[in-house]
Amino acid sequence: MTPPYDPGDVVEVVRAPEPGGVGGAYRAFGETLRGLKTTFKRFVEKPVTVEYPEEKYPVYPRFRGRHKLHRFEDTGLEKCVGCSLCAAACPADCIRVVAAENDPEHRVSAGERYAAVYEINLSRCIFCGYCEVACPFDAITMGHDYELSDYDRSDLIFTKEMLLAEPLERTPLRREGE
Amino acid sequence: MPRPEIKMITFSIDGREVQAPENTMLVDAAKYGDVEIPVFCYEPKLGQPVGACRMCLVEIEGIPKLQTACSTPVKDGMVVHTQTQRVHEAQEAVVEFLLLNHPLDCPVCDKGGECPLQDISFGWGGGRSRFVEPKRHFQKPLELSPLIAIDRERCILCYRCVRYSQEVSEDYQLVLQERGAASYVATFDGHPYVAPFSGNIVELCPVGALTSKPYRFRARPWDIEGAGTVCTMCPGQCNVTLTVRDDRVLRVLARDHEEVDDGWLCDRGRFAYQSFHVDERITSPLVRVDGELRPVPWDHALDVAADALKRAGGAVGALAGGGTTNEEGFLLQRIAREALGSPHLDSQRAPVDRRSLLAIGDPGLQATVPDIEYAHAVLVLDTEPVDEMAILDLRIRKGVRRRRVRLAVASARPSALDGNAALSVRFAPGGGPAFAAELVAAARGEAASDDARAVVDLLRGAGEDVVIVASERVGAALAALADALGLRDRDGAGLIVVPSSANGRGLREVGVLPDAGPGLAPVARPGLHAAEMARAGAEGELTAFWLHGVDPLRDLPYRERWEQALDRATDVIAHAAFLTEGIREHATVVFPVEAYAEKDGTLTHPDGRLQRVRPGIGLQGRNRYGWQVLADLGRRLGLELRVLTAGMALAEVAAAVPFYAGLTQDEIGGRGIRWQEREAASAYPRPEGLPDLAAPTVREGAGLRLGTFRSIWASPEVEHSPALRFLVPRQRVEMAPADADRLGLGDGQRVVVSANGSRVEATVTLRHAVPAGSVFLQDGLVRDAANTLTGSVVEIRPAVTSEVAG
Amino acid sequence: MEKLLFKDIDEPGLNTIDVYRRRGGYERLRKALAMPREAVLNELLASGLRGRGGAGFAMGKKVSFLPKGAMDVYLCCNADESEPGTFKDREIMQKNPHLLIEGIIIAAYAAGANKAFIYIRGEYVLQADILDAAIAEAYAAGFLGENILGSDHSLSLVVHRGAGAYICGEETALLDSLEGKRGNPRLKPPFPANQGLYQGPTLINNVETLSTVPFIIEMGGEEYAKLGVENSTGTKLVSISGHVKRPGNYEIELGMRSRDIIYGLAGGPPDGRKVKLWFPGGSSSPVLTGSDEDLDLPYDFDTMAKAGTMLGSGAIIVVDDSTSVVEVAYKTAYFYRHESCGKCTPCREGTNWTLKMLDRIRKGEATPMDLDIIASVCENIMGHCLCVLGDAMAMPVSSMVKKFRAEFEEEIERRRQEADLASAMPEPELPLIQGAVA
Repeated sequence: MTPPYDPGDVVEVVRAPEPGGVGGAYRAFGETLRGLKTTFKRFVEKPVTVEYPEEKYPVYPRFRGRHKLHRFEDTGLEKCVGCSLCAAACPADCIRVVAAENDPEHRVSAGERYAAVYEINLSRCIFCGYCEVACPFDAITMGHDYELSDYDRSDLIFTKEMLLAEPLERTPLRREGE
Repeated sequence: MPRPEIKMITFSIDGREVQAPENTMLVDAAKYGDVEIPVFCYEPKLGQPVGACRMCLVEIEGIPKLQTACSTPVKDGMVVHTQTQRVHEAQEAVVEFLLLNHPLDCPVCDKGGECPLQDISFGWGGGRSRFVEPKRHFQKPLELSPLIAIDRERCILCYRCVRYSQEVSEDYQLVLQERGAASYVATFDGHPYVAPFSGNIVELCPVGALTSKPYRFRARPWDIEGAGTVCTMCPGQCNVTLTVRDDRVLRVLARDHEEVDDGWLCDRGRFAYQSFHVDERITSPLVRVDGELRPVPWDHALDVAADALKRAGGAVGALAGGGTTNEEGFLLQRIAREALGSPHLDSQRAPVDRRSLLAIGDPGLQATVPDIEYAHAVLVLDTEPVDEMAILDLRIRKGVRRRRVRLAVASARPSALDGNAALSVRFAPGGGPAFAAELVAAARGEAASDDARAVVDLLRGAGEDVVIVASERVGAALAALADALGLRDRDGAGLIVVPSSANGRGLREVGVLPDAGPGLAPVARPGLHAAEMARAGAEGELTAFWLHGVDPLRDLPYRERWEQALDRATDVIAHAAFLTEGIREHATVVFPVEAYAEKDGTLTHPDGRLQRVRPGIGLQGRNRYGWQVLADLGRRLGLELRVLTAGMALAEVAAAVPFYAGLTQDEIGGRGIRWQEREAASAYPRPEGLPDLAAPTVREGAGLRLGTFRSIWASPEVEHSPALRFLVPRQRVEMAPADADRLGLGDGQRVVVSANGSRVEATVTLRHAVPAGSVFLQDGLVRDAANTLTGSVVEIRPAVTSEVAG
Repeated sequence: MEKLLFKDIDEPGLNTIDVYRRRGGYERLRKALAMPREAVLNELLASGLRGRGGAGFAMGKKVSFLPKGAMDVYLCCNADESEPGTFKDREIMQKNPHLLIEGIIIAAYAAGANKAFIYIRGEYVLQADILDAAIAEAYAAGFLGENILGSDHSLSLVVHRGAGAYICGEETALLDSLEGKRGNPRLKPPFPANQGLYQGPTLINNVETLSTVPFIIEMGGEEYAKLGVENSTGTKLVSISGHVKRPGNYEIELGMRSRDIIYGLAGGPPDGRKVKLWFPGGSSSPVLTGSDEDLDLPYDFDTMAKAGTMLGSGAIIVVDDSTSVVEVAYKTAYFYRHESCGKCTPCREGTNWTLKMLDRIRKGEATPMDLDIIASVCENIMGHCLCVLGDAMAMPVSSMVKKFRAEFEEEIERRRQEADLASAMPEPELPLIQGAVA
């Protein structure tokens, strides 16, 4: 095999110490023990491995996971008015909004219009959070849920009902100082 | 009237020397130097500037006060500044003032994203608000009409809509109520703003105060794509931009083309797009099985149709109309003539022979649409522009209002333009050709009626440039009249002949005529025209009919005869978008016709402009392109048409029509091209003299003479557009009060109109302008259409239920 | 001083043609008609008569701007006297209508107009009726109609009653209203002299201006110009109202000392009061203060302009120290907001906003910062509007804010405390005065 570089005309070969003697003993144990020093030090600590999925990895409060849509707490109306600004802001083009006019008898949202269709294709989402920034009504926020794998791509298109539903709190938040 | 000569001058704007045409307003002149001056109320299409919004204030050296750039004509050597501190402060102040009472509901507003107020606030505003008081409030949203929503809180009172209503469409319905900060836009008495051209105010509004109801909340500007094409619903062929989202047309906007539509649209063109996406549309081939039309695969339908046509041999009557393109018309006539050996083709409502068509289509006699505006005089002869070619109505009004064009109207039915006309004359229904012949006589100085002489005197007195807007049915006399008035080869003068269908001119030039082939060339064996076809069908001479975009029961006269003909025919092959009565009851094979938003082809405007119809959305359902269907049919009938794309179809047309020679889709482009302005126009066949002008005199009878007209709203597209359905006309008989008195009838009464035993029910509408002795009924209706009547002299008596109606 | 317009004003029955003619009426018309048109025009030019309606544009010049041509020339008399504080035209029309008619006929002769209109405000019902009667008399006597007094001059005169909008006193809005449209000002240029009523050249003048015309003919232009001071020739009717002992119309020679008008003619403010401020030319003129410096100003066009205000329609409104300047500003703004036609943005929104801010001051909800905003808003209105109505509010209000800022600030503070007091009343345990710091 040709060396990956040109070694030049003079090749210096560094040889290992002769086996046996003090040097040999040191070579046999000394370095090994030195290596083990770290091992022994860590030996008494608790393990850092998280037993996912039995145990969930905690996230920071500002972690950007699966989106949530919100309702007004007092009236129960949807905050989203279907303005489509999130779709405009989305760099991955994964949000689709189709608006419709509110029926004053059966209001869906507080304004004149509401989102009749609100879909996020989470297989395309890059979780940048621009939708949250763009939203003039704080109707969409990024949640903490990061468990988004599924068996079918089409199942990753989240509808308005799914986004509005109270998500299963599967993801623990990191405590302060953690 | 010669168009004003444009003189270029040099002025300075922001320290740069800029060349611009003299006396253009500074706002426009600044654009020559790539300087944008913000405006709200300024819109040159609305006429004189009003200077109401004060957004365009600029500094002009030598004038102490800031001046409105929208109303200051640019002069040589003018020094203008748009970027000084003073100008910035003034513009910021105006934006601040405008935003005082403007709600911040952009996320909910339909205009958001395409809103001039947003853009200007962003570009010229101060970006801060010092207003802490409550804003003004109105009830919202309100319906200004079933088509338009008004949000008065958003209104910045720029006056555009009011000026449009008063100075462009001249319906005088919109006004400003109250004054000062309390002013608001409304109709005078609170009635809905319903007018043929009302939708244009939606496009004019610089904020979201006037929005389209059908488009309400459908999409935002970043969700949509624009697709330019041409509307095929009437001969006006206005240029439009379709707003497309998810392969559906959601809106139609004007695509300003000064030579065609001047940037306006009629409400049918603007809102009837809804009919593209309704369940009633045919989107699959249908074949009649056991008396019922059933969807079938394309191959099967094509086979059935080909067999039927083959079986009929030469006894096929083929009709084309509606939005049929030049390519489709051309392929249709080739198949009919070459594969079927049938000469029976027609595309006209009333027969006009080849020699007459040749004469009135002569390039030397053609006027362009803008000529109407610049002419000394315009004669509207036997046509009602608002119904037959809507957009011309606005053009004629513009000419009269802004350039003092003298307008003469000669028609049987009182016209919407009477109020603008210097002279209106009436003749008996059906008397158009006869009156035109009288006009010719008057123009030649021969004996003629007083009316005809008055019209000719008016036209001559106004000046040399006369444009005659006339219906195609007037025929040969038009050419003679144009010649007698000396309009031949005159720039800015001539004829605009309004055909009976959207592409009437194109269809006749590609040879969908009984007595002419492509390029109006004579044919060896002339066929029957439409009315004769009906007779021949009823008598069993024609055994099959091939209807392309036409339902004879709906679109053509002599309904009774057509019913017999279609009933008796063995096969009726139809290309249709909707199952109108004639198709539903009689067709044996129905091929779906694309909406114009799906179509690919060319049309010929009445002034000779070839325009491209380009697909904006994909083919809906199982639709196929019309030229493809015809090519497939041709192949099955043993005629290889060598057409694989729309461009190839156009090439075939260009090869066959000498004066279209060499035309390509690229050459037509997005703005179209008039064939008269191309070199190939010299290949137009030489006129071969005119037939005898002595038109048939109107039969005098004891009863009332019946005239018919087709309202702009009488079309299947309107019936199938949910938003427009409220406009679908019902039959009414327009009559003079004198006649009504004589017959003891009152306004709004239900009556039966009968002729030769045929009858329709109608509601009496009294119109003072209707001459006594004439009555008018509508054509193109679902029920009680005028073509049900078999005679032109009618009797009217109260309907049995007249006591309850009213 | 010699009186012209008011010479016979108290003559009983002067509104009838007989009395008027007995006092020399229509003789000047006879004289004018005997002169060539150009000579009449030259007299008008020589007189230096400036329009008495408000703008003060030289009348002769206005007439000479009318284009010569075949088009119909119109004359409009602006009798829509709507400026608050102005009531001089009313007295002329009510007591001496024939003087106005005679002036109109002469001016129409000079302008070459054959159709004349008097656009009178709707509230002047009595005056309109008197004018109608007087015109009928003039027609009967042959002073109106075809070939007046045998000359080639013909004139028809019509009284048109407005519906009571301030803006219709603006000349182009007046024309729109006269044409039967909504009375909104038009864009200028074109000026009415070129394209006015029905697109024809139009001469528009105030009642007082036209009523002065016969005297110019009688005296000769040069002689008339000797009255008054340079650039402000002749006599002027002054309507004095407000806090004075003898309010009313007075005819003065222009250039008179303002103090002599307010204190001399009108008797000054009630005893024990001081003049706080006065409007020299109707409510749309920037105010002057009661200082000696301002009161000693000669009352003429140029001096007033130099003092940063204007002579306007010659309506002096005097406000004494018993009235809060906030109320004066509020009333002024209220009037102009109410009368703004709504056509152009700065006036429509600016007057509305200013009023709302002044209202907040009155309600004790404002801070001194609002004064800066008022000043800035007025600044933004001035010179940016389609017509002068916006300026008519912005000028006096901003002048008040500028000249009486201390009082405004005091008032803001006082009313804030009052308001807080009022809101604090139900709960007496709270400290009664709070929020003393803005």
